[in-house]
Amino acid sequence: MNWITGTLGSSIGKKLMMAITGFSFCGFLTAHLAGNLTIYGGQDAFNGYAAHLHALGPLVTVAEVGLLTFALIHVITGVILFLGNLKARPVRYAVNKSAGGRTIGSATMPYTGVILLAFIVFHLMNFHFVDKTNTTIFAIVSSAFTSPTYVAIYIVAMVTAAIHVSHGFWSAFQTVGANHPKYMPLIRTLSIVFAVIVGVGFGFLPVYIFLLA
Amino acid sequence: MWEYCGMARTNEGLAMAQKMVQELRDEFWKNVKIPGNSADFNQSLERAGRVADFLEFAELMLIDAQDRQESCGGHFNERYQTEENEALRDDDNFCHVAAWEFTGDGKAPAFHKEPLVFENVKLTQRSYK
Amino acid sequence: MTKNIDLTLKVWRQKGAADKGRFETYRANNISTDMSFLEMLDVVNEQLAVDGKEPIAFDHDCREGICGMCGCVVNGRAHGAEKGTTLCQLHMRHFKSGDTIAIEPFRALAFKVIKDLAVDRSALDKIIQAGGYISVDTGGAQDANAIPVPQEVADLAMDAAQCIGCGACVASCPNASAMLFTSAKVSQLALLPQGRPEAARRALNMVRTMDALGFGNCTNETECEAECPKEISITNIARLNREYLKSSFFSRAM
Ligand code: HEM
Ligand code: SF4
Ligand code: FES
Repeated sequence: MNWITGTLGSSIGKKLMMAITGFSFCGFLTAHLAGNLTIYGGQDAFNGYAAHLHALGPLVTVAEVGLLTFALIHVITGVILFLGNLKARPVRYAVNKSAGGRTIGSATMPYTGVILLAFIVFHLMNFHFVDKTNTTIFAIVSSAFTSPTYVAIYIVAMVTAAIHVSHGFWSAFQTVGANHPKYMPLIRTLSIVFAVIVGVGFGFLPVYIFLLA
Repeated sequence: MWEYCGMARTNEGLAMAQKMVQELRDEFWKNVKIPGNSADFNQSLERAGRVADFLEFAELMLIDAQDRQESCGGHFNERYQTEENEALRDDDNFCHVAAWEFTGDGKAPAFHKEPLVFENVKLTQRSYK
Repeated sequence: MTKNIDLTLKVWRQKGAADKGRFETYRANNISTDMSFLEMLDVVNEQLAVDGKEPIAFDHDCREGICGMCGCVVNGRAHGAEKGTTLCQLHMRHFKSGDTIAIEPFRALAFKVIKDLAVDRSALDKIIQAGGYISVDTGGAQDANAIPVPQEVADLAMDAAQCIGCGACVASCPNASAMLFTSAKVSQLALLPQGRPEAARRALNMVRTMDALGFGNCTNETECEAECPKEISITNIARLNREYLKSSFFSRAM
């Protein structure tokens, strides 16, 4: 057996892939949020940010391909883990009670993940794979968020993302073995703080634009 | 067993206990009722097997205690005691380990003797004083 | 204060691994609150035997929380709802007269039901056989203080060594993962100098065996830690992850 496939194919190896890809999504979300905050600076600031980003040229393409690869790994491994875990308990308990370990985040990872996947496809179709020749990204975004349905979809998606990372963030540390009595409480707090930042930070943008229009 | 084959025993008590154990065992085999069957996992059967063992072992202990006409360690036969009521050993006749061979149901077991040989110490009466 | 209580039990009855199994309802009347959960089952079983029915099969041995033999899921909780106790240490005083108690076996693909509540947990033994030991030459025992071990490290190893192999972590894990058990067994040796020589191979082989036996994947739900009767910490799981990844990527062990 090849040691690389052997390692990555094992339960801990799959978890490692989830952790690395998931954690880089957290990094992506941070950068994405920072960029999006330029919306509060108005139309020019936001379009300026988009222009700067696209000026990076090939770097953007590299990042996009990287994110896509990571997304595939994250989703496929996540599905494999989920199915494996279903199989590991063929007969379910009639009475099932938590001993207090699970959180909303941890208990819903595969489900929030699928919602996120659907959302990401929807999001890219709306704002990425659109013809931007005669318009600006700000115009596209503002016109989209005049619709309350769009605003609602985005808010739900961002709450979902917040729930997903509220577990994912600290879980990634635990998976790579980074559990230390001095830092773990901080990491777990940070997990919640990060989730709130993602939820509120992204979630409020559509509301802001909706109110602006 | 506690009453008649305990810390201190008498020959009469041991004989009586042997009869009682035999009766108890007969009753066990006549009336034992084990739920379930022997084909699958059956904890009642496990336990019944253990009780059957205990009953056999109890009688063996009584047979051996009656054979050993001395007092020795945890085996204190009231007939054999010193003037100060200490255990009175009979090393000439009983300095051995007894092994009993099963010879079939309802038959008396056959006695085998493994003598105890002491090369470096001399057997004496233990003193607690 | 001792009281006597009346209970309704919904007990999982299953003839063997091939049987589908079902719940049966029994009355447990006049149960002293001083009894343990297993003694309560003994009382029910005696009545069943008198009634000519088959008693409920359940695992037990020491009945004092040290052997790891007992264990059922009581009202959805492995070893019952009390913290840090095994089923044999669960007292009936935690129940009220009139309560209905659902009793199920530990459920996992890797744990086959032998009968009723008795479960085959030999999969855990197989994980141990894959590396949960140290190899030492026979001969005179080494002086106890020949290899110094810091007190904190010795304490951590002892904490991990508390695991009694009951399988409640698997039973309570939403994914039926055996990571807490395996991590305790790896940690108790990995922490000590005597365990280091075989540490890389141990971590690899025990995790591979665990995966092959059909246990689920840990998703850090931490239910195991909350349910473990010996309160084994999930910091051991992080240590197992470290040991495993270190062995996989940096050791010569294949
Ligand atoms: C913005 C997007 C996403 C972020 C930031 C993210 C982040 C994370 C992180 C950090 C983990 C923790 C890894 C670990 O437990 O070690 C994780 C786990 C998981 N993610 Fe995502 N994820 C995202 C999108 C998705 C999507 C689209 C899916 C779709 C299926 C998904 C499914 C899962 C699943 C099932 C797990 C649990 C795996 C496990 O704990 O073993 N995630 N995610
Ligand atoms: S880790 Fe805890 S719950 Fe798991 S087998 Fe050991 S003692 Fe039982
Ligand atoms: S019977 Fe030994 S731990 Fe419960």
